[in-house]
Amino acid sequence: MRGGSRISSTFWGLAGIAIFLASWELATRLGAIDPTIFPGPAAAIRSAVQRLPASVFLDNMAWSLFRVIGGFVLGAVAGTVIGFAAGWYRGFGYLARPLIELLRPIPPLAWIPLAIIWFGLGEPSKFFMVFLGAFFPIVTSAYHGITHIDSSLIRASRSFGLKGLGMLFHVGIPASAPDLATGLRIGWGLSFGVLVAAELIAADRGLGFMIMNERNSGGSVSVIIVGILLIGLLNLVTDAALAALIQRWIGRWHGA
Amino acid sequence: MREQLTQALVALLLIAAILLGVEFGVREGYLKAYEFPPASRIVQGFVELTTVGFPTGVTLWTHILVTVVRIAKGYVAAIAIAVPLGLLIGALPVLDKMTAPLVVFFRSVATLSLLPLAIVWFGAGELTKVILIGYGCFWVMLSNVIAGVKYVDPALIRAARSFKVHGWTLYREVVLPAALPRMFAGARVALGVGFMVIVGAEMIGTIQGLGALIMEARSFYRSEITVIGMLVIGVLGFLISSGLAALERLLLPWGGGLGETSR
Repeated sequence: MRGGSRISSTFWGLAGIAIFLASWELATRLGAIDPTIFPGPAAAIRSAVQRLPASVFLDNMAWSLFRVIGGFVLGAVAGTVIGFAAGWYRGFGYLARPLIELLRPIPPLAWIPLAIIWFGLGEPSKFFMVFLGAFFPIVTSAYHGITHIDSSLIRASRSFGLKGLGMLFHVGIPASAPDLATGLRIGWGLSFGVLVAAELIAADRGLGFMIMNERNSGGSVSVIIVGILLIGLLNLVTDAALAALIQRWIGRWHGA
Repeated sequence: MREQLTQALVALLLIAAILLGVEFGVREGYLKAYEFPPASRIVQGFVELTTVGFPTGVTLWTHILVTVVRIAKGYVAAIAIAVPLGLLIGALPVLDKMTAPLVVFFRSVATLSLLPLAIVWFGAGELTKVILIGYGCFWVMLSNVIAGVKYVDPALIRAARSFKVHGWTLYREVVLPAALPRMFAGARVALGVGFMVIVGAEMIGTIQGLGALIMEARSFYRSEITVIGMLVIGVLGFLISSGLAALERLLLPWGGGLGETSR
């Protein structure tokens, strides 16, 4: 039953993708949309590859990945540590909570001007932007997780003599892992979106820069379309990889 | 109660300490006013922004209005298309299976990466901004509507069936109310996406709107105005999302299981 339904969703999913691509291709062939400003999938890939060598695509992709992973790791570490600490230690919570609550409603992209003022136009400002995208969802979910632990877990572990850091590491963190996992996934998506936007507005390499530069220099729509598809695919693949990693990590405590 | 009082007191003291620290640091020359605008300048900038305007003639209220109208247009259009479409997809399993990978993919495409393409198609004007906001809100809303309809507790449906409730009545009386909390959660997340997208979209090709304000201010070395713009965006987003949450509690007293982090 399960296996059958999985096969049928794969089948229908592929059918859906095929129908989408076919109608896009047909619309340009039949002239329903103007192929010079909206080429079909086959034509777009063909002319994008002709215009730019594959190494340019790969190079920009590598830069984007490097920035998003670097900034995300910084944001995830800071968010997890501060979130757990704010939930676990009352005094630190009093200090950290108001600052987080004050800054959280500001959309990460609104920091771009300050990021440039503080860190210039180079790599550090990109890392800072991605960091912000990751930090707020992760710190919120870590805090939420650690402050919503089943109190019977705490009582049970106390009666086994656990306290302080031992309790935090053996009970607190494992019990709040599912919340943290949600935050990590949301943070990854947000980091990615923030990075692309930051690259569009102020950068000299990366996928976001590549497509914006193509439009500013009057280049080809095909490169823009292929770039957008690459950005989507990269986000999709890396998100799936992150989900698998998280599953392996928290699967130890929370079942598969 | 005592805990909240302590928290409020600590928060006030902390923020006062930071503001005073920056003020003092700038006055004594440890910090550059351009990098860390002190509160006194921010207050002056606020007065200038609300009277003279920045750029001259465009006051803060105009910026706010322009931004809110852009978000509202894209948001309302996105919800108006996503809700009926999501209800349809959620109700037809085959259609759901066919569209699932497409929905996931289009959600993964970073909305602002569409900016160059949208400029090619629609120019750098209003339409591009509204369409980008609409795009971002649409996919978030759509996937939440689909999920809302699809993941209705099967026990509810079985119970209704055993009371001989079928077809359209079942859909209207059971499925729809059960899906509404999820849809509302989607509407809240979508609004957050709208706020995020507008800031980026306004940084290019306009001088009106809060995103343009904070970016323009930087080019003129008026970082205190950038900070005001950021705070205004934050407050605006906070107010509107609290308003939606209050509306949800009022309209859907049976919901409430879905928290801030769920998606």
